[in-house]
Amino acid sequence: MANLTAQHQASFPNSSPKSAPQSAALSLWQLVLLELSAIVRDKAIAVTLFGGVLFYSILYPLPYQHQVPTEQQLIVVDLDHSSLSRRLIRHADASAKIEVIGQVGSISEAQTFIETGKAHGLLVIPEGFRRDLMLGKGVTLSYGGDASYFLIYSAVAEGLVSAGLDAGKQVQMIGMLTQGKAAKQAQMSVNSIALNSVPAFNPSLGYTPYVVPGLFLLILHQTLLIGTGILGAGQWRQRGYWLDVSPLQLVCGRMLAFLLIYIVFTSFYIGYCYHWYQVSVQASFGLVALWLLPFLLATAAAGVAMSSLFVRRDLPTQVLLLLSMPILFVSGFVWPIALIPEPLVLASQWIPAVPAIMGMLELNQMGASWGSVLPKWLQLWALFGLFLGLAVLGVKRRAAAYVKALEQHS
Amino acid sequence: MTFDAASQKADVDKAVVEDAGLLALLRREWAALWQDPWQLALISYIPLLGVLCLWWLFSAGLPRQLPVAIVDQDNSQLSRMLGRQLKANPVTEPQSFSSLPAAVEAMQQAKVYALVVFPKDLKHDLLRGQKPTIDVRYNSQFLLVGKLLSSQIQLSLADGLKQVAGIKQLASGTPKSQVEVNLTPVKSQATALFNRNNNYIGFLVPPVLVALWQLLAMLVMANSLNRELQFTSVNSIDSLTSHFIPKVLAKMLLFTPLFMLQGGFILTWLYHYLALPQAGNLTYLLLAQAFMLMAVWSLVLLVFVLMRDSARVISFCTALFAPAFAFMGVTFPTHEMPQLAQWWRLIMPSSHYMESHVGVVSYGESASSLASQLIGYWPFFCLIPLSLLLARRLFSQGAQPLNEPKNATEKAY
Repeated sequence: MANLTAQHQASFPNSSPKSAPQSAALSLWQLVLLELSAIVRDKAIAVTLFGGVLFYSILYPLPYQHQVPTEQQLIVVDLDHSSLSRRLIRHADASAKIEVIGQVGSISEAQTFIETGKAHGLLVIPEGFRRDLMLGKGVTLSYGGDASYFLIYSAVAEGLVSAGLDAGKQVQMIGMLTQGKAAKQAQMSVNSIALNSVPAFNPSLGYTPYVVPGLFLLILHQTLLIGTGILGAGQWRQRGYWLDVSPLQLVCGRMLAFLLIYIVFTSFYIGYCYHWYQVSVQASFGLVALWLLPFLLATAAAGVAMSSLFVRRDLPTQVLLLLSMPILFVSGFVWPIALIPEPLVLASQWIPAVPAIMGMLELNQMGASWGSVLPKWLQLWALFGLFLGLAVLGVKRRAAAYVKALEQHS
Repeated sequence: MTFDAASQKADVDKAVVEDAGLLALLRREWAALWQDPWQLALISYIPLLGVLCLWWLFSAGLPRQLPVAIVDQDNSQLSRMLGRQLKANPVTEPQSFSSLPAAVEAMQQAKVYALVVFPKDLKHDLLRGQKPTIDVRYNSQFLLVGKLLSSQIQLSLADGLKQVAGIKQLASGTPKSQVEVNLTPVKSQATALFNRNNNYIGFLVPPVLVALWQLLAMLVMANSLNRELQFTSVNSIDSLTSHFIPKVLAKMLLFTPLFMLQGGFILTWLYHYLALPQAGNLTYLLLAQAFMLMAVWSLVLLVFVLMRDSARVISFCTALFAPAFAFMGVTFPTHEMPQLAQWWRLIMPSSHYMESHVGVVSYGESASSLASQLIGYWPFFCLIPLSLLLARRLFSQGAQPLNEPKNATEKAY
């Protein structure tokens, strides 16, 4: 933590273009200014970038604000009506994951409670529960959770397993004590080895720290692609400043303009929003900035390259919207990469967001060393190189097509 | 398309509109669909590819053989036996690591999803009656995998340890029949209701596909409405205002059956071809899909009437519909969402549909309870007359200057 400010200062080395020759620097910065004004004046781009980024930062994590599903409603079918069954119910109710909302006489009645959404789980205590236990016979508790909803089921199951285990241990203890064993010894043989199972990296098991890091990088990725896409698609068939500079200059100027905007957006997302949503941060500021640099560059270059495929301004948004969900799921934090078919994993490696998200999770959420994420970082640089080439090629083709159309017209 | 061709096409278009029989308008919509490769893609191969790709992604269904790091510092008969227990569990695939730092690094790189440490002197401590601790760390940054592994590893190890305790009890002279009962007097039998083997395809794929389907429906209707803008400033009279209601009606009449085909394909694929369990009547779901489509149409219509600019209509609808999946309440329970999210959820047609979907597929919902759910769509249907009224006022007000400069440039293609 102490070296944070030092790294903060170190990570932005002289960004002013003083050293560059005067005339070249002027035209590049003029181009960047033109680009920036084109972005801001285009309402569709401005709405997507400034409105979208802000809107999504609130809307996407909104459902998960309460983090962990707690207190799932449980309906109990107590066929035993003994002191022990009542004790078990109290145990279950005391669990943070479960709230006992009532008792009914039969399993079918309990089912109706679940189907109407009044309860999400049921517990059946069999007849003769207490008697069998005292006689030293084994008994079986049945419970069920609504597995149409994954988190509900796992919460109900966790809560009931621990309540059931507790009850079992209590009975074991009582049994051993009645057999005349010493309390300490009884305690000992009930649990001879302790299992210490602890979550690593997301200690609160919260849903926002799980979803937000990957999702936010994806939002930045998609909005940047849409912004560059709309800007390009709107320009290719009109005379404009984009024809006055070389394709390489245009691509560089465009990337620089979007980068300036996205440095602000990224700082807002990775800085303020991470803090707000209590996402753990393990890597230093400098390393995170170093990680995000090729991500933003590769994405911006990919955006310009992709924009050369469109001449209708409403298409980039549509294409990227349809791609968002597949990219989210293939990036490997919702559904494990180990289970995704190999061809899909290989195909996804060409999308800047995919290595960027996984590397960011490793680096910043799980505290991996820089050395271990280096291959992905280099992959992002390679993607940047590839898309830069494609972008220049694409703009060149668009310029040639425009000149040709002009000649035909006259 | 050149400028001239666009205006020619607009003239033909105008003639059709003036004719204005519903059948003529339907034919006009059909021709427009046929001429636009992107719209055609949106109703044909994109949904097909999308459905198959998303299903393929989740086709593993059950998380199996997830890599787990084992650091065996004890290297005794006992620790090896526990390692075998983990190997026997279909969910876990143990990988041996000689040192703890190497295992931690593998975990940080997401190469393994959990880490089990058998401490030095595990067996020794156990025999001497001290209580050793086995450390398990699971990666909860990957919440879904982490939770699963946490419970599976604990179950496997507890099973192994029970065997050890059983041998101990047998050695101390407890009769064999009694050992089992002594160890676990209370057994529990868990049932995953409605999705018996807890298959992720059954739980995750239907909402994902419904979200995709909703996006496609939104885009097709938005594009179709946006197409009307192409002709507004080419003609001297504003053709957007003429016969707006029958035009919208023709669009709905054309796209509703086309999208019902897609919805039907999704249902057939999931519940007939993949044979996911289904309790209720699937034809009920077709009815629910028709209602959902009408709700989507009405929202898009409202946005169109208010925005009247193609890129902005798409941007706004995207912002509205893109996060729909998170609000369906399938991955995260609805009743745990904050109030604001629950309100936002009501705006999304897909969340209403998913309730019916789960109701029919899981609970075998009856026609009457489905009907009461469908009645819940009424606010969406109120939007249709509201939008048409708004259209009449807004269009006549801004008929001439209506985004003229922008459209003039867009006309070029």
